[in-house]
Amino acid sequence: MASTATTKRSNLYEWFKTITFYEILVGMKATLSHLLHYRPVTVQYPHEKRTLPDNYRGMLALLRYDDGTEKCVGCDLCEAACPSRVIRVVSAEVPGEPTKRYSKEYYMDMTRCLFCGMCVDACPVDALGMTREFEWAVYDKRQLHLNKQQLLAIGDRSFPVREKRLELQHPNVAFFNVAFKHVPPKPD
Amino acid sequence: MTEFGLRLAISLTQIAAVMGIVVITVLILTLAERKVLGWMQDRMGPMEVGPYGILQPFADAIKLFFKEDIIPAGANKFLFTVAPILCLIPAFIGFAVIPWGPNQTFEVNGITVRPFVISDINIGILYILAFASLGAYGIILGGWASNSKYSLLGGLRSAAQIISYELNVGLSIVGVLILAGSLSLVKITDAQAGGFWNWYLFALPAPQIFAFVVYVISSVAETNRVPFDLPEAESELVAGFFTEYSGLRFAFFFLAEYANMVLVSCVAAALFLGGWNAPYPGTILALIGLPSLAWVENIMWFAVKTYSFLFLFFWLRATLPRLRYDQLMRFGWKVMLPIALGNIVVTSLAVFFYQQMK
Repeated sequence: MASTATTKRSNLYEWFKTITFYEILVGMKATLSHLLHYRPVTVQYPHEKRTLPDNYRGMLALLRYDDGTEKCVGCDLCEAACPSRVIRVVSAEVPGEPTKRYSKEYYMDMTRCLFCGMCVDACPVDALGMTREFEWAVYDKRQLHLNKQQLLAIGDRSFPVREKRLELQHPNVAFFNVAFKHVPPKPD
Repeated sequence: MTEFGLRLAISLTQIAAVMGIVVITVLILTLAERKVLGWMQDRMGPMEVGPYGILQPFADAIKLFFKEDIIPAGANKFLFTVAPILCLIPAFIGFAVIPWGPNQTFEVNGITVRPFVISDINIGILYILAFASLGAYGIILGGWASNSKYSLLGGLRSAAQIISYELNVGLSIVGVLILAGSLSLVKITDAQAGGFWNWYLFALPAPQIFAFVVYVISSVAETNRVPFDLPEAESELVAGFFTEYSGLRFAFFFLAEYANMVLVSCVAAALFLGGWNAPYPGTILALIGLPSLAWVENIMWFAVKTYSFLFLFFWLRATLPRLRYDQLMRFGWKVMLPIALGNIVVTSLAVFFYQQMK
């Protein structure tokens, strides 16, 4: 008996809610409170930009040591690691130094890059870096086919502080691809 | 002859002034809607053109003016051209009978001029309702003439919508007409003078609160606004009945929609909220010794009422999702129509017994 009375009362309550548009008014209160406590979450993008995190994965770049020599040793590991076949390395021997190699040519097709960062992880000498550049919209797709000079230029402007050469950082450790003084230079 | 010329000149001036005010209001509304909607959704709205984006309406107008005017292949050229005009004219023509300010007159060379109403015809409200219904033909014809499935669906939905709201608009107004005993908007507004307790929303013997709610809901449906924007439903029908329109013709539809919003807001203010009457008896300016400037205060009150009504449109748009059209029709026929009819019965009984008691 008591339960039917409560259902009756709750039915009446629901009916009252319906005729006073209670649910709609709750929604309108929510929108109005957003209007009164106006805190926009948008950023006026070209005028103000977000501060990007340090590990942001933006445009790829080739890096140099602090003496201006290229870090890349032409090992092709980035090419092997890349899932989208962005990278193409043409490796060559450094003239006159048979133990050293370098990338004679280095191409990146940035139209295909998905910015996974696997090439950066794969690089044994940290020659690749991801910058915080992301505004790479161009009118011609072919402008996104970058060569070595362009990639080095990106690295130069994005990483002004460069590392020392590896053998100078760790004087007692032997390194891959570092010239051995006792090996005579290759005759031409 | 000179008298006729003078009359013509005065009328044309009034018409130009009213049209100008309406177009300026529409310009303000397009910006205000985007801004208010943005603020309610934690966005900023347009910010690029001018400081805080206040010149956006002009940029939009210039863009629409210079856009290519396309008539799609297979469209009925005549109806396609006529439809936007058929939509725009009824939206603007209703403003002729809206009283913007007090019913005062002055004389120019023996001609009586009423500055705040273009023409006070004795069937004012019927005239507005009649032309508002004609506006829907523009939508239906535009949807049909475009030769596009989306446009056609938008037009059909408009036809379904018109039969569910039109009746309720008319019936919800009847209570006010019984109370006022007149169809002229000037007389209806005059009858509500002397404080907010005389507005027909609250007035004894029969407060028109239910009629007001029915009118508000129906007028939202009449102007094709969210939550009743079925004819243009951009998430379902691309843009509904004006999918194929571009450039100036699109601008006409756009202008008509906003002008219609202003019109229904003005009618709501005039019928239910006392029109240009202040919510207190008389005016403050008359009280402090400037009775000749009282019209400024009155017009300000009319603007306040109209704009708060327009704000309600934006507010609803920011809050509510769209109805299906079977829901709209069921709501129109099974809920609003009985309420409007019941309101008429209650109002007429109340007025009858009120007069008996006197």
